[in-house]
This record gives sequence, C-alpha cells and structure tokens, in this order.
Amino acid sequence: MSATQNFDAALFGDGPARDERFTEKRRWAECANFPNDHPLKHIEFFHRQMNEEMNGVENAAQSLADFPDADWNVRMSMARQCADEARHVEMFRRIFESRGGQLGEYPILNFQYRIIANLGDLLSRLVVQNRSFEAGGIDAVTYAIDEARKRGDQELVDLFEMQQADEITHVRFANEFVYQTIRKDPRAALQVARALTLASTAFMQVMGSEGVGSVEYLADERGRLEAGFGLEEVKAATTQAMKRRASYGSH
Amino acid sequence: MSLSVQQRAEFVATFRFIQVFLMETIARWVPQTPEMEVKVLFGRHIWELAQQADSLGKRVYELRAPLQFSLRPVESYVQVLEEFARTETTPQKISGFYDVILPGLAARYRNYLERTDHLLDEPTTRVVEKILNEFQKMIKESETLRKELPQLCLADKNWPAHLAKPEVSVPTIVAHRPSAAIA
Ligand SMILES: [Fe+2]
Ligand SMILES: [Fe+2]
Repeated sequence: MSATQNFDAALFGDGPARDERFTEKRRWAECANFPNDHPLKHIEFFHRQMNEEMNGVENAAQSLADFPDADWNVRMSMARQCADEARHVEMFRRIFESRGGQLGEYPILNFQYRIIANLGDLLSRLVVQNRSFEAGGIDAVTYAIDEARKRGDQELVDLFEMQQADEITHVRFANEFVYQTIRKDPRAALQVARALTLASTAFMQVMGSEGVGSVEYLADERGRLEAGFGLEEVKAATTQAMKRRASYGSH
Repeated sequence: MSLSVQQRAEFVATFRFIQVFLMETIARWVPQTPEMEVKVLFGRHIWELAQQADSLGKRVYELRAPLQFSLRPVESYVQVLEEFARTETTPQKISGFYDVILPGLAARYRNYLERTDHLLDEPTTRVVEKILNEFQKMIKESETLRKELPQLCLADKNWPAHLAKPEVSVPTIVAHRPSAAIA
C-alpha cells in the first residue's frame, strides 16, 4: 500500500495527548527514517522507541480504566505493565539524552494507541497489543541485542536485555488470558482472529510496504516459547517472518 | 471501642474500594494527560495502587470476607472521589491526588491503626503501615517532579481547599452492614 493512500477511519481512534514538544505523524513514511549506516539512525530509534513505550503505558492504563470487571489477576498484570512501560520510557529517554538527543527532535507515531484503544473488548486489545505487537518486539529486540553486541555497545545490550525480560512477561500474561478465555468459550477464537486482521490491516496502512519492508529480523523462537506461545505458533511465526523477508528482499 | 472481625473486614474492604477507584482514575488520566513526565509518574503509581489494593484484598479474605472483596464507602465520600475524578488540568490532577486525596486517605489509615488492637490485628496493621510508607514515597516523587517542572504547580493556591473541605467533612467512610452480611 502506498504512503499516500487514505486511512480507513474505522480502524483508528483518537490519539493520546502529547505536550507541545512533540510532533505526531500518522504514517511511517513521514518519520525520520535514516538508512542503517546513518550516524543518527540509532539516536532517532531511541526517541521513536521511547514514544512507543509511552503508547504501551497508555494502552495498558486505558484498558485498566475501561474494563473494571475483568479478572483481578489480569488487572494486576496490566497495572504492572503500566509501571514497566513507564520505566521503559525512562530507560530510552536516558540513553537518548545521554547521547545528545533532545526531546521532540524527531516526529513520533501513536498508531499503537490509536489502533488498540479503538478495540472494544479486552481480549482483542491484549491479543493485538501484547500478543502481536509486543511479541514482534521480542523478535526485534533479539536482533537488536546481537547488533549492539557486534558494535561493542554494552550499555545498549544491557538496556535491551532488561527490556526483553519485561516484554516476555507482558506477552506471557496475555497468552495465559487468551488461552483461558478460549478454553471457557471456544467462539472467542473468532474474536482473536478478527482483532488480528483489523490490526494488521491498520498497521499496513500506517507502515506502507516501505515500513514493513525495512524489517530484517526473524522470530525469536526461544523468547516466544518463554512468553507462552505453543510450539506450533512459534513455528508459524518463524515461517511467516521468513516468507516476509524473502518477498520484500526480492523487491 | 473494640472492633469485631466483621467490622475490621469492612474497614479493609472499604480501603480496597478506594485504592481500586484511585488506580482506575489515574489510569484513565494517563492517555488524556499531555505531559510525558506526568504519564510516567502516574504509570508507576498505578502499580503501587494496584499492589496496595491486592494486599488489602488478600487480608480481607483472612478476615472471613470473600477474596479481593471491596465495599463501597458512604455516599458522601464516594461523591468526594467522583469530584476528584472529574479534575481537569494537570496541575489540579497532581495536587488533587498527592496533596489532598492521598494525605486524606493516609489520615484515615492512621485513624484505623489507632483504633485497632495491634496484637489481635497485626496482619492488617502490617499491610496498612506498608501502604502509609509507600504513600509518603509517592507524594515525595510528585514533589520532586513539581520542582523539576514548575509548570506542573498550581497557579491558584486556593484550589486544593475545594477538594479538601468536603474530604475532611466526611467523618467516617465505612458503610457498615448488618451482622454477617459480607460473608
Ligand atoms: Fe516496553
Ligand atoms: Fe511491554
């Protein structure tokens, strides 16, 4: 899909509030997408990631407010996630500023909040936020840890490894919630499938083929198993990632 | 005056109701609040409030009420909470929570500690004392942030009184029930 094509308004809700330091863009192509060898590539990533972590806090907080009757254990996990993602915001802010970045220097995207908070039930939100976007994050961080290690950037290796441990916990509680819900009511599986389809359609509209094509990593099988995915699901994620890489690699 | 097991359970369940209400209020404010540093502060404190509610909810079960049981406070205190939840600007949200509601709740927790027998009810006193320490830390963190970012301080210094007055005017927050009604 080209970056100029229109958004399907039904797939996106209102954005979260941001102060005047920040400029929100709606599409990946409008962001500061530096090539891999550009000196600002990493610093821009810290800023972008800091804001994505903010979306993580906002989504977990929104669901805590919106679903007061959800099981107390899952609410505890979401409350914990609020604090973890808030800490991740601070972690990325610290490394961003210590390496010369200034808050608001680069545009930000709030598509995660716009897509997820727009879903009307907790199962769909956890499937998309934790089990899809954050599970993808586990894959991405594994790749990023290897890259940082190759560059000898130990501070970043430490940051990513701690972030990854937290993200695995977030994916795991969502997986447990999803399996329990489907066990109680097998029709919930349809809801899961519907939420994933909506989210991936919305995600493609934001990213465009340019944004998705820039993804270089495969699925982190060990991380996904630890996060509570079944063996078959992990294999499927790996196959999907290989297909995606092969198809964009041939363009 | 001594307290029965049921009366103690009612106090603890009322405290849990308030903790959950505050957690939900702060959570609802996170996406609506523009300032990044405030979102981070609230995000961290949501987890504090949740853990405090959880420990009260476990204690209430030991006091022979259902696990994680909450009891709605008297209506006049619910109105105070609802008025607080309607707060609009960021400086008012911060001041309302850290300068009025948390200190007011801390006073009620201390009042409970004065009333209960510390030997008979030691598990509750441990939970409540821990929460009081955590409240102090939360309030301190809000003060540090307000020092760093003075734009988060209230311009109208009289504003907290509008929330504090009705808060202190509610003498007791527990809506006691007939005997054995919460088991
Ligand atoms: Fe995170
Ligand atoms: Fe996460």
